[in-house]
Amino acid sequence: MNFSLNEDQTSLLTGLDQLLAAEAPPAPTEPVFTEYAHGLDAVLSESGFLDIAREDGFGLLDAALIVERLARLPQTVEAASTAIIAPALGLEPGLRPVALTSGNPLRAARYLPMAKMLIVDRGDDALILSVDPARVAPVETLFAYPYGRLTEVDEGAGTVFADVALLRRVWRIALAAEAAGCMASAVATVVEHVSTRQAFGRPLGAFQAIQHRLAMAAETTESAKWLAFRAAWSGRDDDAAIAAGFVQARIPQFTFDLHQFSGAMGLTLEYPLHYWTYRLRALVGELGGSTGQARAAAVAAWGDAA
Amino acid sequence: MEFGWSADEVAHRERIRSVLNRMLPDDWEEIALHGPGSDAQTDFSYDFCSALADEGLLIPNWPSAFGGSDEGVWRQFIMAEEVWSAGEPRGPQYMNINWIGPVLMRFGTADQQDRYLPPIREGRAIWCQGFSEPSAGSDLASLRTTATPVEGGYRVSGAKVWTSYAGRADTCFLLARVPAVEGAATGKTAIVILLTDMKSAGIQVKSIPSLIGDGDIHEVFFDDVFVPEANRLGAEGQAWEIITFALQNERVGIPRYEFSRRILDRAVGRLKADGRWADPVVQDRAGRALMLCEAARMLVYRIVDARARDLPPDAYGAVARWAVVLADNGVNDFLTEFLPEGLLGEDPVQQAHHQRAIAAGVASGAAEIQLNLIARRWLELPGEGGRR
Repeated sequence: MNFSLNEDQTSLLTGLDQLLAAEAPPAPTEPVFTEYAHGLDAVLSESGFLDIAREDGFGLLDAALIVERLARLPQTVEAASTAIIAPALGLEPGLRPVALTSGNPLRAARYLPMAKMLIVDRGDDALILSVDPARVAPVETLFAYPYGRLTEVDEGAGTVFADVALLRRVWRIALAAEAAGCMASAVATVVEHVSTRQAFGRPLGAFQAIQHRLAMAAETTESAKWLAFRAAWSGRDDDAAIAAGFVQARIPQFTFDLHQFSGAMGLTLEYPLHYWTYRLRALVGELGGSTGQARAAAVAAWGDAA
Repeated sequence: MEFGWSADEVAHRERIRSVLNRMLPDDWEEIALHGPGSDAQTDFSYDFCSALADEGLLIPNWPSAFGGSDEGVWRQFIMAEEVWSAGEPRGPQYMNINWIGPVLMRFGTADQQDRYLPPIREGRAIWCQGFSEPSAGSDLASLRTTATPVEGGYRVSGAKVWTSYAGRADTCFLLARVPAVEGAATGKTAIVILLTDMKSAGIQVKSIPSLIGDGDIHEVFFDDVFVPEANRLGAEGQAWEIITFALQNERVGIPRYEFSRRILDRAVGRLKADGRWADPVVQDRAGRALMLCEAARMLVYRIVDARARDLPPDAYGAVARWAVVLADNGVNDFLTEFLPEGLLGEDPVQQAHHQRAIAAGVASGAAEIQLNLIARRWLELPGEGGRR
């Protein structure tokens, strides 16, 4: 048991931070729902960071560390599916960004407008499709991810992936790591706001009503992070379902509180909070939501049969 | 970063389980029902802790200079997980091992160590902590019990309340305030710690009937009780430093989530036996309780890891304690809704868990104090006056 980064992980994250310092675009200056960091996406693709789980001596935990760190950015860039899901499924590197959806392949999917690949959880199996940009319609949404949906699909042209349990396991890990990073930045943003915004003669953050709920948000953020990292390390079904389910269950209260403490400013697009909270709200419903994960965790821990 | 156990740690856990299986009697669940402060569990703790000492498992975490085995922090914590999940058969004596002994080793005089440590390491000492008062609970610094200096020691007057184990304790780890005189220290620096013999003249103990088990909480009245100066722990003015050290050990020394996880496993077994496990609502709720247990586990492990690596203590203990309170109560809520018969005489272990869970956010100071600490020391939010 060791919660500190090892030398390789320290080097990895130091290198990523240096890359982000040089290549991450400044926070959006225009009020937008979301901004995809195309330039950073290209640099990340070339850098090898997103393929770390494929390297000898590294694995999904190292990928999760990277995903959590990238999710803290105000802009979004597809990393979780490329770094965690694709290597675990044994998919060839390079075909990215990767979009995910469940059920009908025509459902709206995160990152589909720029995706090269779409993975569809069809219940009994998964379908892996190459994405033709000409057949993608962007979807307008409050969620802070670029969404799109296929205008038509030829399921026969896709590749069937039989181990849907593996897909769900690593999807849960990817979701948990991404959500943990979003939570970290959301809390930091609101802590800064309530530390400087004055009301009734003192900073908002001096009021205990706000302090206590922000403290709870901090506990949520820390729990989400360590559960995600443990799941990435162990690769166990129960750990993955617990990590994703925990964060999905906490997101509603977490996002409510953080917007509440930001007042009307938190409802504007010029205030950056929505970059993280509206990614979190998008993640709430994936894979059956917290109920789906809670049941999956229960079955993984105790079995389904009487 | 990795989250597994070494082969040595796995073997250590297996050995402890084996010892517990061998040492716990068939009627242990009935004994545990009455709570760690009960006469039944206190009596049992003498035999159990003595036998545990013979196995070298009572104080292995203590330094060898004090009779321990210099065991690492993680091995100590594995022990704590296993005994807590078994219902804490060490009874009131867990406290001696977790923090009374370590505090005495760090701050006690040689005479105090010679007097108090042997009974602890032999499993025959019961202590109580005289902290809370009718007007000073979580706000410990406002305590009013007085320790008036007299020739050769102090005269103590006042009252303590919620005092666990006081009815059977040999010694009280007592906090009292030296009355202010002109030019003397006030506030926290006026507090002294007196290792007080509970058989001293002037001490009266009154048990308070409660929801959390027999013998767990008491009122203790001190009427002009003489305590020799040799029984003062640390120098005058040093008490707050000692208390802070003690609470750091106390608050994270109990892996409550492990008992909650065990009771959850047990509950699922009962639901399966009753044919109720296939209900998706039951599975959903059980899964949510499980998530809370595992979140608490990870945050507590993060503290233990920091201690194992000798990192300075930070506010993470408060973060973890809040998670532990949520886990205890989340499991308790699940049990109460889906297995209410456990509180109707059918499951003494569930009742014991319930009694611990309802106290989880109150014992060792209100959990809201932990939220204050997270806000101020972890998030660095401004204080009530507006300053960071």
